[in-house]
Amino acid sequence: MRLFAVGLSHRTAPVELRESVDFSRKGLEHALAELSSRGAGRELVVLSTCNRAEIYIVGDTDATPDHVGRFFSEYHEMPHDHVREHLYVHRGPHAARHLFRVAAGLDSLVVGEPQILGQVKAAYAVASDGQFTGALINRLFHSAFTVGKRVRSETGLGEGAVSVSYAAIALAKKIFGALKGRAVLILGAGEMAKLTGIHLQAQHVNQITIASRTLTTAQKLAAHLDGVAAAWDRIDQALSAADIVVTATGASEPVLTRARVGDAMRHRQNRPLFVIDIAVPRDVDPAVGQLDQVFLYNIDDLRTIVQENLARRGAELARAEAIVDQEVAKYTAWMQSREIVPTVVALRHRFEAIRRAELERLDSKLAGLPPDARARVDEVTRLIVEKLLLTPIEQLKAVSDEAMIVAYADALNRLFSLAEDKNRGDVESEVSS
Amino acid sequence: MHLLPLLLYAAAAAAYIAHFAWRDPRVGRLATGLLAGGVLAHTFLIGMQTVQGGHAPLVGTSAAISAFVWLLGLSYLYIELTADERSMGAFVSVLLVGLDVIPALDPVVTPRPPILQSRLFTVHVMSLLFAYASFALACVLGVTYALLFKEIKAKQLGFFYTRLPPLASLDVMNSRAITVGWIFLTNGVLVGGIWAWQVKGSPDPRVQAMSLADPKILVALVSWGIYSFALFARKAGGWSGRRAAYLSGIAFAVVLLNFVLVGYFLTASHNF
Repeated sequence: MRLFAVGLSHRTAPVELRESVDFSRKGLEHALAELSSRGAGRELVVLSTCNRAEIYIVGDTDATPDHVGRFFSEYHEMPHDHVREHLYVHRGPHAARHLFRVAAGLDSLVVGEPQILGQVKAAYAVASDGQFTGALINRLFHSAFTVGKRVRSETGLGEGAVSVSYAAIALAKKIFGALKGRAVLILGAGEMAKLTGIHLQAQHVNQITIASRTLTTAQKLAAHLDGVAAAWDRIDQALSAADIVVTATGASEPVLTRARVGDAMRHRQNRPLFVIDIAVPRDVDPAVGQLDQVFLYNIDDLRTIVQENLARRGAELARAEAIVDQEVAKYTAWMQSREIVPTVVALRHRFEAIRRAELERLDSKLAGLPPDARARVDEVTRLIVEKLLLTPIEQLKAVSDEAMIVAYADALNRLFSLAEDKNRGDVESEVSS
Repeated sequence: MHLLPLLLYAAAAAAYIAHFAWRDPRVGRLATGLLAGGVLAHTFLIGMQTVQGGHAPLVGTSAAISAFVWLLGLSYLYIELTADERSMGAFVSVLLVGLDVIPALDPVVTPRPPILQSRLFTVHVMSLLFAYASFALACVLGVTYALLFKEIKAKQLGFFYTRLPPLASLDVMNSRAITVGWIFLTNGVLVGGIWAWQVKGSPDPRVQAMSLADPKILVALVSWGIYSFALFARKAGGWSGRRAAYLSGIAFAVVLLNFVLVGYFLTASHNF
């Protein structure tokens, strides 16, 4: 039983290729069933996002990754040579490390992005519902969820917006809380205005008012954003009603002067106003930022925030990697203790069988002894066997190298001709001990 | 025994501050646990004093401060558990430690003189203590509002920006705390007035001193005036946000002044 991760990602494959090996197109269940029917492995998970397509599999032989690699091209009906050079294969603990880093967002295009953990969870849920998973994969993915959660809560890796639009929205949320029900005024109807409008609309703001020098362009954008258009000379009324103002006009002189905004603030009873000036040259007089309860951010301010956030994420990387290391060590130890367990159990069975056989053989000679003396003989022989096995089993469980485990198990099987009937219940109790 | 709550509050404060700085959820849970332990130990202490004295220990400034700390700890725990927001703990627990030093070092339980054996007196004290606890929370909310406001305004998004809830939430909670506090303050002052009127004829010098000229009563009315202004100016004229935050800080400073300084040294009427 060996664990493999086979796949390609934004690090190894261009976007065209990633698009053409998208497993989610026909549904993950379909891909899982198809791969399973080929008998490639016992436990499977297929993870497919726009930045990666990966298969986690527990197989019996070293040929498993090859098998899976072929599946990538055959399932998507592509020449194998075309796909092969972009594929990576991770084995055993390296596969676990890879998945943990993926789940933590460490392998993402934007490091620390939070969506990937949900995607990993969804991929596992599909495989689990289809009963394609088993003990190894279950434990693997639950460990991966732990890594994702720990990285999110114990490090600042996912914190801070890393694009200008998100930085603006994060700021707005820090001022107003949830943006639901807030009124937005957008000045300008260009591409930047539209983009910011779309982001704000996704936050379920109450109403978006768009004002532009030409009413028709404002109406066009308003239709797109499900908002209302306002005539350019009605800005002052809209300003009094708005909580968030986005300015993105092509004007060469400031549109919002201190006097104009100050006037609006008096009408709005000092409610906070967040002004986002993404125009170059600036649409808002910097003096507006001096007004009480007005928060003014221009495009450079937002860019600075993004730069700082990126730098901070970099600093958190080491902490996140340390969490991955810890969880990999835990998972590897568990996996290895599982691997040696059948051998340990068989060894115990073998010794116990010898003891019983000998006691039975001596049964007639022991028959003359009083019952308590017979019990003593039983006890003493049992203790001898236990003592004999104590150190070897301790040593076996401490072996950490996978190749060594196989070598040890092999040697013990030969030396003691251990039987193949490995009692499952005993295996479980040994794992938990 | 009377030092145990203080020690637990101090440990909780250390844990809350550590949690605020490093945001390790385990430390946060530890902080909540320590604070809950402190409040529990404090409950036992007050319970013991009640059993020993035969009445709730509300007489004397030490006992009143102790009861206040206990109420504040309890109210804060309630808010933390219902709002699932732990960042205020760092501020509240420091306040708890600072105030609990007084009753912990001066744990005298003054027997209740006959003149105070009235139900009105208990209502008076409990109302005011509850009002003060609300105002303390409003003050903490105001301070955090001001800190966060400053960071966002100055475009220096740093320590507090990543740790505090949004300005709007702080403002709404501040408004609620002031409203609740004002209701209890009004009730406490009215009940106190009724009680003073009932015992008017008493020869007790303290009762004789019950007048607007007494510092304790005067400052209490001043703080009632400030909170009334805070409450109605918010509704009427946009005294929300930063102004409200500053106001709740200043008003609580007046309350503390009255509660501790005037209570110990200046009052002739509330000198029990």
